[in-house]
Amino acid sequence: MFASLSIAMYLLGLVLRNQQLVTVAVVLLSFLTWAALRTAHGDVASTGKRMEDAAMDEGVQLQSIVAMRKTSSARVFEDGEIDVTVRIQNRSGVAKVLELRDRVPEVMRVKKGANYVLMEIGPKRETEISYTIETPLRGFYTIGPVCIRVQDELGLFHNEKEILLYDDFLVFPKMEDIKDAMVKSRVPKIFTGAVNIRNPGEGSNFYNLREYIPGDPMKKVNWKATARQDGKMMVNEFERDAVSDVILIVDSRAVSETGPVSRNSLVYSTRAAASLTQYFLSRRDSVGLVVYGDEIVSVDRDTGKKQLYIILTKLAGAMAKGNTPLKIVTNRIMPHIHRGSPIIILSPLEDDPTIIDAVRDLRARNFEVTVLSPSSLEFEFDARRIDRTGYEVLKTERDILITELRGLGAYVMDWEPDMLLFTALAGARGF
Amino acid sequence: MAEENSKGPVDTAHLYDGKVVRSSAPSRVKAAGTLKRDTGIPDDAMPEIEIPGWIETIFGGPVLTTRKFLPPDRMVVSLQIWSSASLLVLTFLTFMLTPVSGTAWFTLSNILGIGFIGLAIHWILMLIGLIGGFFGISQRDQRALLASYVALILVTVRFAGSKVEYGLSFLPEDETIQKILLILYAVFLVMYIEISSGIIRFSMLDTSIRTGEVYVMNVNAITRRYTRALSVTPAVAGFVAMLTLFINLIIPAFVGILDPVAANRLRESVELTSVYGVALGTILVFIIIASMFAINLPLRIQQYTERQS
Repeated sequence: MFASLSIAMYLLGLVLRNQQLVTVAVVLLSFLTWAALRTAHGDVASTGKRMEDAAMDEGVQLQSIVAMRKTSSARVFEDGEIDVTVRIQNRSGVAKVLELRDRVPEVMRVKKGANYVLMEIGPKRETEISYTIETPLRGFYTIGPVCIRVQDELGLFHNEKEILLYDDFLVFPKMEDIKDAMVKSRVPKIFTGAVNIRNPGEGSNFYNLREYIPGDPMKKVNWKATARQDGKMMVNEFERDAVSDVILIVDSRAVSETGPVSRNSLVYSTRAAASLTQYFLSRRDSVGLVVYGDEIVSVDRDTGKKQLYIILTKLAGAMAKGNTPLKIVTNRIMPHIHRGSPIIILSPLEDDPTIIDAVRDLRARNFEVTVLSPSSLEFEFDARRIDRTGYEVLKTERDILITELRGLGAYVMDWEPDMLLFTALAGARGF
Repeated sequence: MAEENSKGPVDTAHLYDGKVVRSSAPSRVKAAGTLKRDTGIPDDAMPEIEIPGWIETIFGGPVLTTRKFLPPDRMVVSLQIWSSASLLVLTFLTFMLTPVSGTAWFTLSNILGIGFIGLAIHWILMLIGLIGGFFGISQRDQRALLASYVALILVTVRFAGSKVEYGLSFLPEDETIQKILLILYAVFLVMYIEISSGIIRFSMLDTSIRTGEVYVMNVNAITRRYTRALSVTPAVAGFVAMLTLFINLIIPAFVGILDPVAANRLRESVELTSVYGVALGTILVFIIIASMFAINLPLRIQQYTERQS
């Protein structure tokens, strides 16, 4: 701007033969030239093209700046925190005034410290900046690059460089403790029948006593019972621990992201799926996951803590894309799951005409179906994106659909935004 | 028509008109697609895209910032004082060095036969420069500062006929003093623009620091460098301007080594003493500077400095 102004004044001065204007233009040009010399802005060659060498492109001022980053964790839950430390080294012998910004994902909030720092760094010195970011939403994220800018003292010119330093991290969906829902319910476990497989096996709960058979380990011998049976050796039998296969189906179609970024069906579904996974795995059930959107992603049934993290990782990466119908998903998975296994569908039940057919098929094959449906209508209505009339009409249609699903024998819960997961689950089971 | 263009909530009536209500919930995504002109897509669903205006495109960014600042800190207050002082000196120098003769408003008022209007406009422009400047400095209002810059530059736009004239008649007619006053005027104008821009820059920085947006390590070192630059840069600019303005003395001094008569003739030539002499000086000085840039001297100086340290 100053350069254009000075050239305009210079030319106008010559035309009007006005020494005053020409002098001002000359002073302004000299001012700019000196500032340019001080910033080494002269690495822009006189032809107007930058020099061929990419390294030279950034000028000497930036070449000797090195950045290193350390993060406190690469895996964190929603609403968690990550501490980031960036170490900056000035390997040259000249002091520099640097503007440094470590790019953090847009949805993250810097809670403590600053990722944007202005500093003077002495020759052959290093300094550290640290900050803490809050992770409000699940997903795969990257911190970086580190953007560095060197300005002249008067702020007229600057050189910039991006240090391609990246750190990836994973934010798992938040988990809610749903044990309360079970304690308060009238039956001890959500899924009776198919879940309570009362068969003897290698478990920890006592099942019954039986006579000793050669080959039984001696640690299983119940000596008190043996003494009571006049020398007939009795052994303890235990209940088999792995009680059921639970399948969670999460709808991650594009429509599931309807509503505000932090309050939509997909966010609620992933959180519910994470909480349910943790609950069932803690009961030693085996849990499988199917996430469908533009493609069908599945995690095979398994037990244990490792399975929890595998499922959490898949849930963290669930993107709202595509429009795969539920029927295609159920047709694909049905041959691979045991009859009677409970299936929990987490879906807004929107924009899919195959829902009824899919649930009917599952019920016909004796699967116990529970539908937990975060209502995107409520999200949109709360955000004032639809008017009252539209809301009422759409709500009526949704209620009809839910009634129809219940008529097929599925447990369905219309999960409203302010409802806690365990309340929704209790409602779904009709407790 | 007006209804068609208005954006509002989605009208869902078309979803049910003449249709059998199915048990599957209707799609609002489809609804948005089937509606014609009034799509009813909520405003907050659109990403906000800032398209720069043509003025911003020309200047390569926003000319004015609309940001609200926190109360000024010590650095900003001292810049405000310096800026006010330079504005005072500048206005006085402008008043001294810029007569109304040769300006467009002077010519216009003479044509209309009301001579004092031209002078009044001239003084009003200077007053706008002064008052707008003070207001802009104290309130940190970029619009007022811009008006002040424009007024103070506009007042100098006049046909001058190659000769330096004063607004005040009692000032010495000596050419050297005239040129030094001109350089002083130019330096103060540039300093005023730079320091008042510095007020906005440091206010933004200070606000960013206090709102936690940016953290500054060693603030004193940074402000010290700025202060040093504020004293060195005008001195250098003044020196370069002096070289160009006194070209009618510098060239004859070199020529005089070989031919004193030709040097004397050059010294008194109208071409060298006029504005074209200054233009010639500018060309000579800036040819040297351009050649420095052509050989990437700044880069080489830096490389040398880095190697030496």
